[in-house]
Amino acid sequence: MTVEALYAARPKDRFLRGSLVFASLLLLGAVATRDGALSELWSPRALRNLARFLEEVRPTWTVAWWREAVPFAAVTNTVALAVAATGLATGAGALLSIGAAGTITTPEPWLASARPPSSSARWVWHGARISTRFVLVILRAIPEYIWAFLLVALLGLGAWPAVLALALHNAGILGKLFAETLEDAAPSAPRALRSAGASRLQIVGAALIPTVLNRWLLYLFVRWETCIREATVVGMLGVVSLGWFVSDARSRTHYDEMVALVAVGSVLILIGDAVSLWLRGRLRRR
Amino acid sequence: MRRATWLGGILATLLAAFWLGLDPRDLAEADPDLWVAFLRAAIQPALYDEATGTHWLVPQVLHATWATVSLATSGMGLALAIAAPLTLSSSVRFTGGGVLCAVSRTVIAAMRSVHELLWAVLFLAALGLTPSSAIIAIAIPYAGTLAKVFSELIDEAPMDGARGLQASGASPLQRLVFGTLPSALPDLCAYALYRYECALRSSAVLGFFGFPTLGYALASSMDSAHFHEVWTYLYALFVLVWAADRWSWAVRRRMVRA
Repeated sequence: MTVEALYAARPKDRFLRGSLVFASLLLLGAVATRDGALSELWSPRALRNLARFLEEVRPTWTVAWWREAVPFAAVTNTVALAVAATGLATGAGALLSIGAAGTITTPEPWLASARPPSSSARWVWHGARISTRFVLVILRAIPEYIWAFLLVALLGLGAWPAVLALALHNAGILGKLFAETLEDAAPSAPRALRSAGASRLQIVGAALIPTVLNRWLLYLFVRWETCIREATVVGMLGVVSLGWFVSDARSRTHYDEMVALVAVGSVLILIGDAVSLWLRGRLRRR
Repeated sequence: MRRATWLGGILATLLAAFWLGLDPRDLAEADPDLWVAFLRAAIQPALYDEATGTHWLVPQVLHATWATVSLATSGMGLALAIAAPLTLSSSVRFTGGGVLCAVSRTVIAAMRSVHELLWAVLFLAALGLTPSSAIIAIAIPYAGTLAKVFSELIDEAPMDGARGLQASGASPLQRLVFGTLPSALPDLCAYALYRYECALRSSAVLGFFGFPTLGYALASSMDSAHFHEVWTYLYALFVLVWAADRWSWAVRRRMVRA
């Protein structure tokens, strides 16, 4: 075949071409409307702002200054928020994943029953699975920061709204991922237990959880990394993590302190990523 | 190792809860009427302005939704433009390792390690409340993440095509474009679309800092306790994120098949 013939025979897909056109139109539309334009970047006002900002962000290299600017509690609280939220999200995600797994929440798990299930039983099991999945989709579609904002309004200030916000969003993500691992687990052991008369929960506890635990740990650590990032930020709503000190420095227009706090947050995230990478590497080798 | 990790995790969670002073009794103290009112509004999202009850809300919702989309799209466009050269310089296969690769990986790690909202706070201070601040705030960390994942995907793609081209004397760039990229393309596109979904969420949240996206509308409705409106905006965000997710799923499925 010639190159021309090969070119003419390349795979074509109308949907993909349409997607490309749609994406380009979106980008053009976004740049054309005021909200998406970078035009004001070079305006004199923005440049004046920038010059003033850089003037105020002269680094101070004394230990006393850093100790004053970055309270130790801000760092420990951020880590504690992330850990507590990951723990809660894992618990909630594990429970929800059982309800969302197509192999478990079904009228006939793993084996066909002797009598076909009644239509009402079908409705109940499928309904339970679909509604659990819907809850998971809602939980992860709403970002952590918005959950935190709503919960601060409903619960008042404190650590609870921040922890719950991170936990809710991550429970949605972990629930989905956990459900996928439960569905992908080898069906032989559950089938054997089912034929011996085991209930769904007995099978989950005895055959499924032991096989998926390692994978769950990997997912859990990936989400913990994200939780540290988000725990920093939800502080801006008034919870005492790094973000609170950032927004406090911002409102006092102490921009040098603000930049220092952001830099500490960045180091914290890099350390968190490294710890998680090391632990995941060790877990993979098992 | 596995059991130790799980036990350590549970212990760490309890310790963290103790450190933060999380007391389950505090949750019971929340005003139940407020909760009930908020949750009840979920089944009746507002179609009319709650203050007057006559003003149609839909144009406002559409405006905030478009602002969210346009910010996310511009941010993502800029992020892809920045990520493209950084992907090449961070790819071991393209650079052959070395100093350039190490420097480039450090740079993208630094870009990623500051959350987009913190970038936004920095740029708000540096540039003021202009759309540019939000677009750059999204573009920097997203470019870092895209470059990291893209370079990993390229390094993990099958070598055969690139080897064949190398034997016929192709340059590194030709090997990358014609040998490696075609097999990595479905994953690259799927990941870019996934990040677009994340960008939509980030763009909505940037509204809390004064940009006219869904977060701004949501915050002002919540501040005046207009719970029905809050749910309207939440559902709008939900539909947006869901649509992006379905789009990414459909594109990936077709690319793998083709």
